[in-house]
Amino acid sequence: MQADLGIRARTTAPVRASGSPATVVAAFSTRKAVRSGVLWGYIFGIAIASSEVSYIKLYKTAAQRDLLAATYGTSKATSALFGPAPQLQTVSGFTAFKISMTLMILGAVWGLLASTRLLRGEEDSGRWDLLLCGQTTRRGATAQVIAALGAGLGTLWAVTAIITVLSGLQSSVGIGAGPSLYFALAMVATAAMFLAVGAVTSQLAATRRQAASFGAVLLGISYGVRLIADAGVGLHGLIWASPLGWVEELQPLTSPQPVALLPIVAFTAILALVAVHLAGTRDAGASIVADRDHGEAHLGLLYGPSGLEIRLMRATIIGWWIAIGLSALIYGFIAKSTGATVSGSVKEFLSKLGATGTGAAAVFGLCFLIEAILIGFVAAGQVTAARSEESEGMLDHFLVRPVSRSAWLGGRLLVALVVLVLSGVAAGVLGWLGAASQHAGLSFTSLLGAGINLVPPATVILGIGVLTFGMRPRATSIVVYAVLVWSLLIVIVGGFGTVSHWVLDTSVFHHMASAPGVPPNWEANGIMTAVGVAGALVGGLAFRRRDLQGA
Amino acid sequence: MSDTALRTEGLTKHFGDVVALDHLDLEVAQGEVVGYLGPNGAGKTTTIRLLLGLSRPTEGRAEIFGLDCQRQPVQTHRRLAFVAGEASLWPSLTGAETLALLGRVHGQVDEAYRDELIERFDLDPTKKVRAYSKGNHQKVILIAALMVRPDLLVLDEPTNGLDPLMEQAFRHCVHEARGRGQTVFLSSHMMSEVEALCDRVGILRDGKLVEMGTLAEMRHLSALTVEARFDGTIPDLSGVPGVSAVQADGSMVRCQVRGSIEPLVKVLAAAGVTELLSREPSLEELFLAQYGADGHAG
Repeated sequence: MQADLGIRARTTAPVRASGSPATVVAAFSTRKAVRSGVLWGYIFGIAIASSEVSYIKLYKTAAQRDLLAATYGTSKATSALFGPAPQLQTVSGFTAFKISMTLMILGAVWGLLASTRLLRGEEDSGRWDLLLCGQTTRRGATAQVIAALGAGLGTLWAVTAIITVLSGLQSSVGIGAGPSLYFALAMVATAAMFLAVGAVTSQLAATRRQAASFGAVLLGISYGVRLIADAGVGLHGLIWASPLGWVEELQPLTSPQPVALLPIVAFTAILALVAVHLAGTRDAGASIVADRDHGEAHLGLLYGPSGLEIRLMRATIIGWWIAIGLSALIYGFIAKSTGATVSGSVKEFLSKLGATGTGAAAVFGLCFLIEAILIGFVAAGQVTAARSEESEGMLDHFLVRPVSRSAWLGGRLLVALVVLVLSGVAAGVLGWLGAASQHAGLSFTSLLGAGINLVPPATVILGIGVLTFGMRPRATSIVVYAVLVWSLLIVIVGGFGTVSHWVLDTSVFHHMASAPGVPPNWEANGIMTAVGVAGALVGGLAFRRRDLQGA
Repeated sequence: MSDTALRTEGLTKHFGDVVALDHLDLEVAQGEVVGYLGPNGAGKTTTIRLLLGLSRPTEGRAEIFGLDCQRQPVQTHRRLAFVAGEASLWPSLTGAETLALLGRVHGQVDEAYRDELIERFDLDPTKKVRAYSKGNHQKVILIAALMVRPDLLVLDEPTNGLDPLMEQAFRHCVHEARGRGQTVFLSSHMMSEVEALCDRVGILRDGKLVEMGTLAEMRHLSALTVEARFDGTIPDLSGVPGVSAVQADGSMVRCQVRGSIEPLVKVLAAAGVTELLSREPSLEELFLAQYGADGHAG
């Protein structure tokens, strides 16, 4: 009947598409993985290079370097938090201590998010089914994605390595190409392992969020085990029970132990194989861990967009609060012992890292910078969640009903602000609990104030995010995380006093007083809050005047 | 109070250089069921998103029950419900939770009718949305719209993914809605659905409304198909006024007639016709006639 409808049949033969049909999934995924690897490799490389250069500029004399080693080289508390600090008299030893733990954790998070996005995320979206209709199998497609993630990992290492080698070869730094390549390898090792972890959890979990949560729990346990092993309580053997510990045992730039690569490679390879195997044992879209498809209706929070937001995000938010609260508690436990070493020129050193004041208060000032970064991530997550609601079409359901754009966005922002303030309060209260248990001599009000002091920088991130959401919605995620990562990098580099104040001022964390070492600067906090509110208002107005936009 | 449910004046939408909707003038009376047809990219969904205030017009305005769609979206939305053909729902909520949420957001729900719809559409509301098939997903969206008994139902490919039984259930609901005086604005690719449900039909082409009228009115615009059988010789119809597309097949001839059929009937009668069959064009034929034989706009 086609002729009756006037539809002409094609007369040309199908043309062979470029590329092999059997590897199309790999090609599709490699593009995304490599793009991400380039970006994060750049961040890793810059962070390493900045550590090397700042050490050279700041610690010019042997006396200054000895003082640094005396401060941190023997501290059990800093060893527990950031790993051992041998050879702080050298640029190599300092760089390894200064940046390793940060990059190890960032690498693990990158690996976990990248693999769960390309595996379980694709299944969540329904695109996986389309790919499986091609010339591949469930196992074949999973193997292809893992290969693509391997390409992304290779890119991450290559970009990190290039910058690290170039920085190391400067005459003032003097780190050879070999050690730099090995250091870069160590810094991406956690990324490799958690890519594989994400590949397995993507088979186990029913949703991407669940898969990432499973992986995050493993990362938390891994960090905790390593922390105990490095805490100097006679349990150092536990280091071999933690993937983060294996990377630490590589000891790049100080006393390289390539043998520690064995468990890393074995762990990664075995988990990758397990992921491929599991992919063949389950239906596409299903999960290994049984997920309940039915449930009783719980209507308590479902009174509108804000209630729904609280319901959907509560598990994630509680997870952040636990992370923020527990880390503050640990800082409280160590603040007194670590602070006992703070005096004279050591105090000056800490002040350059942003920790002004004396004793335990100075240590808290430094540790709470990490809390501020965590709360910044909470703020970024709130904005990107709002954008996801729009891009995935869920927002349409509200805006075609009697809900105004202002009410929807205002409700979300109110929830976000409450979450941020409670995050700061959790940091302050639990930090005080830890400190009080050690009789560190810090008052409840000073630590509560220090906790609330963490909120204004997050408010700026929230405001910039809403501004972008209103004006360039598709750039929201990129801009908000770029601001966060930039601010983090500047505060790492700038803490050493080697950056112009114009650049320092671009970091939202630079404007935060290092309470409780010094009283919170409420004027600066007021200005940051005003900037955040202004950004949110302008963004909200722009949002009212634009079309809704999909992904 | 205005009798008009929906009105657009010069409604225009540009996406960069692309003109998605070009000076649309449309009026739908209260209680009418209006079909809105056009191929992919003709501007149907753009029209609906402008009516709902989800997109901003480049030019022109739209009103629903006399309320400006852009300036008074909340008041407008109190009186309407929308069904999209492709819409995401929250995967971790159950069907019942989704319906409760959307009902509370709208502000009014006929709970007895909602329960009846759940039964009629054979939906398991205890299931989580992520476990629903595409069709069940669509049922949730349909029930959420119908259960609030709005004055205006805006439907964009509403039966997307539904099986034929459920399509029938949907048609029944639209008939009921019309019976209660509700207005329905139905955008669809399914000609049979529009033909069965709609009082008037609008055809959109390249962002412009090229036809608007009842099916009867539109049929006058298109040709009548005539088939005749003869005992003897088939007459020559090529010179008959209004006749075209003449095809002879043995003792049978098929042709199309525009305008008056009288000249053709006279010729056929004189030639000793034994069987005569005439058929009005279907909506699908009318639609294809608007878009040319190749099925493409332009």
